[in-house]
Amino acid sequence: MRIVVLMKPVPDPGEERLGADGRLDRAVSAVINGNDEYVLEAALQLVEANGGEVTLLTMAPAGITDPIRKALAMGATRAVLVSDPALGGACAWSTAQVLAAALRTLEYDLVLAGADTSDGGGGVVGAAIATLLHHPYLSRARKIEPIEGGVRVERISAAGHDVLEAELPAVVAGTQLLGEPRYPSLRGIMGARSKEIAIRTLAEIGLADRPVGGAHATTTLVDARPPASRGSTRVVRGLEPVAAAAAIVDFLVERRAL
Amino acid sequence: MGGIWVIGEVDAGGALTKLSGEAATAARAMGEAGSLDVQGVIVSAEPDEAAASLATFLPVVLAVRSPEARERPAAAIVAARVAALAAAADDPPAYLVVGATPDGRDLAGALSALLEVGILVGGTGLAWGAAADGVPAGPRVEMQPFGGRIVTTSAFSGPRGIVLLRPSMVVAEPLAAPGRVEAVAAQGTVNVAPVRVVERVVAPTIGPSIEEARVIVAGGRGVGGPEGFAGLGELAGLLGGGAVGATRAAVDAGWVDYAIQIGQTGKTVKPSVYLAFGVSGAIQHKVGMQTAETIVAINRDPDAPIGEFADLFVVADLAAVVPALTAALRARAG
Amino acid sequence: MTAAPALGRLTDDQRAIRDAVRTLARDRVAPRAAEIDRSAAFPEDLRLLLAEQGILGLPFPERFGGLGADLLTVCLAIEALSAACATTGLILAVQELGALPLLLAGTEEQLGRFVPGLAAGRDLIAFALTEADAGSDAAAVRSRAVRDGETYVISGTKRFISHGSIASLVTVFAVTDPEADRRRRLSAFVVETASPGFSVSRLEHKMGIRGSPTAELAFDGVSVPVANRIGAEGDGFGLAMRTLDRSRPGIAAQAVGIAQGALDAAVAYAGQRRQFGRAIGEFQLVQGLLADMDARTEAARQLLYTACEEIERGGIDAGRWSALCKLVAGDAAMAVTTDAVQVFGGYGYLDDFPVERMMRDAKITQLYEGTQQIQRLVIARALLGRDA
Repeated sequence: MRIVVLMKPVPDPGEERLGADGRLDRAVSAVINGNDEYVLEAALQLVEANGGEVTLLTMAPAGITDPIRKALAMGATRAVLVSDPALGGACAWSTAQVLAAALRTLEYDLVLAGADTSDGGGGVVGAAIATLLHHPYLSRARKIEPIEGGVRVERISAAGHDVLEAELPAVVAGTQLLGEPRYPSLRGIMGARSKEIAIRTLAEIGLADRPVGGAHATTTLVDARPPASRGSTRVVRGLEPVAAAAAIVDFLVERRAL
Repeated sequence: MGGIWVIGEVDAGGALTKLSGEAATAARAMGEAGSLDVQGVIVSAEPDEAAASLATFLPVVLAVRSPEARERPAAAIVAARVAALAAAADDPPAYLVVGATPDGRDLAGALSALLEVGILVGGTGLAWGAAADGVPAGPRVEMQPFGGRIVTTSAFSGPRGIVLLRPSMVVAEPLAAPGRVEAVAAQGTVNVAPVRVVERVVAPTIGPSIEEARVIVAGGRGVGGPEGFAGLGELAGLLGGGAVGATRAAVDAGWVDYAIQIGQTGKTVKPSVYLAFGVSGAIQHKVGMQTAETIVAINRDPDAPIGEFADLFVVADLAAVVPALTAALRARAG
Repeated sequence: MTAAPALGRLTDDQRAIRDAVRTLARDRVAPRAAEIDRSAAFPEDLRLLLAEQGILGLPFPERFGGLGADLLTVCLAIEALSAACATTGLILAVQELGALPLLLAGTEEQLGRFVPGLAAGRDLIAFALTEADAGSDAAAVRSRAVRDGETYVISGTKRFISHGSIASLVTVFAVTDPEADRRRRLSAFVVETASPGFSVSRLEHKMGIRGSPTAELAFDGVSVPVANRIGAEGDGFGLAMRTLDRSRPGIAAQAVGIAQGALDAAVAYAGQRRQFGRAIGEFQLVQGLLADMDARTEAARQLLYTACEEIERGGIDAGRWSALCKLVAGDAAMAVTTDAVQVFGGYGYLDDFPVERMMRDAKITQLYEGTQQIQRLVIARALLGRDA
């Protein structure tokens, strides 16, 4: 199976901040988006069981290599990084177009994406990419299995889960239920150094004159401010359980919650 | 000029989702502020019930009968139908409002590609803003990213876009008198890469949906096991139909189902009351519940991070407080 | 972590390995540390984890399945583990210590026989030099290895042997020639603990590193093939000394890790604990303590890293570097952990908080692999000439 895993480097949750230009500062200690690690793990397990390779596909500023190296250390074979100064500040729609264009230059059976991103993403890019490439889209996957000529996915539904099948190539978005990602072994870390990170510009994926990137962002930040303070925390300690329970009830009454 | 279309979501039973009513209410408010017409769209194999419900919120609802939409996941099919409608309309919509359910996100992504427009995800607020500083008049969407450290307001840079609205951001308000439903026959077939449904597995329900609950009683690692969660369920029942939620730690331990996980890789909730037992308040959880109106936390650890943003922080052993609180609430009720 | 070592001197691989071990230590080791100490049970689950992640393979040559890492890299891993749990850091340190005689003087045949299992972390190896009457005076070892045809028969007792009760292999130093000069009496052997005549006669109850089993080993006529002797007869003492020259940095790394863990805990506490209406970290006396703790830890760390590079280069003063870094780091760990308890005040004395455990753990770094007094003798000898 030739699997492409879409990977987004995001600021380490807790470390995010806006840069002076009002955009998310992507240089702040970048890590692999949490949800992408689950689909990467699922991809690695699929190729370990069925043969094949995992390619990472990322759109990011050129200097951000640590998350890519970690993903390579986990076992991906190679990485393709689409990087172009024009892409700074790109919106989700641009991202979808860029990744779809990059995918058109690759050979694959399955594209895996994480459910959404910790830096404010809405979990929409996978669906947009699948639509652009006219591939079946199966989201909320908790289990992924290859079948003859296709893929079978257990998709979380409101009532439980549905079992779906689609032909390849397909785009699947996964959840944490796919399983805990492995720690990169030390051997993997040392081997990652010799793995290929191919860098592609917009021109190299056929988007040279297309309206993508920060200058064509469909959304824009209008304001950023600290949140209104919740007020101070009332702390209660040293009370017996009955008194503590009474304090909670009184507080809820005070806040008109009861 | 282009108006606002609210794409209603139909659940497995054919009914309109609660979030669609909220989305319609929000769309109406924007329409009034921006002087735009608002209409609803339902695409379904059996759209009548949902369309009638949506019409209690909007003056006009297009009910598109599309047999292929019987199969789930329907997002790709709904998107194709909506895009075709928009293309054929005399007055194509400027904005589309979609509820941010998992299916809603799939729909928004597909629509984004078909209509070539951007998406804004409304987290904590949605309003209409006047034109200013080169940003056109249009929806203004508020979010609290970065674990809640900042509040951002975003807008579309152009005249069109898709708004994804999260649950419980808006209170659904029906019209004084319901609007009208226009039946629309779907033209031709949609060209969508097929997904086959092999089986539907129904799991036992956990209780009220946490995304819609007004009161959530949440448990973390400190609860210790599934029995503890049963106790929280009892407590939730005494708090006006509350729902039970959980942190990632409890889900990973196998004590509760992923469906009730709150946080970065789970659900985001905005209840009136969030009662947290044995929850440390780590950032991955905090981002899922930080906008709750009233947060009460009970934890044995006086240094738990939740103590920094809770409204009331009780340092105590939850094993003793849960039964005491349950007893106190029973006494009040009875 | 609050402090990060100067990045310029580490290669990308070293940094990546250090960060990976730190993540593992934070996620999987730290949550177990208090319980390991309380129960004094060896963390077999963590040993398996270290094996799976390749961490136990770091010191071993690649051609036998190891990662062929240099001394500094091994020490980075020990340091990162020890910041979370000194017992767990010791798993790697002892594995390296026990295997060093083989790595320094073993034949290719011996390496091929023993190293694959060690590198995979399947087999643990212990280092058995010390005896009841031969601690600092290592040359006073009395265990005997008597040649009998194609085997040696080993008799005697070894004391204070880390991992002695869980290792499948033990590097044993025993007297092969009682008449020879003090430093030519001993030979080194790899003994398989499954051999008849080998037994664990005692397990110690210790102040610290309680999860690490420290055993008294009894050798009652244990037969060992000649092929298991490391180096020539009489090489044992010199081999033991060369081993310690290379293994002492591992203990220094453990000490630096313990100190850093204590410093991090104290800094976090100082930021949260409030007295007199303010966080105690705002008071100068507390700030002074923390600053001194950081200075000592960082100084010990930088000396350790330099020592690793010097020893790796193979200079003749490896012994001096080895003793310097262990001396400074051990004393730093003791001082820093003691001060960490001080920052916590009364709470620091309770086992609800990790610093009292860290203080108990730190003490051993001033005692084993040569006491601080022995380190001073080694350094002085290097300064003044070997026979002074």
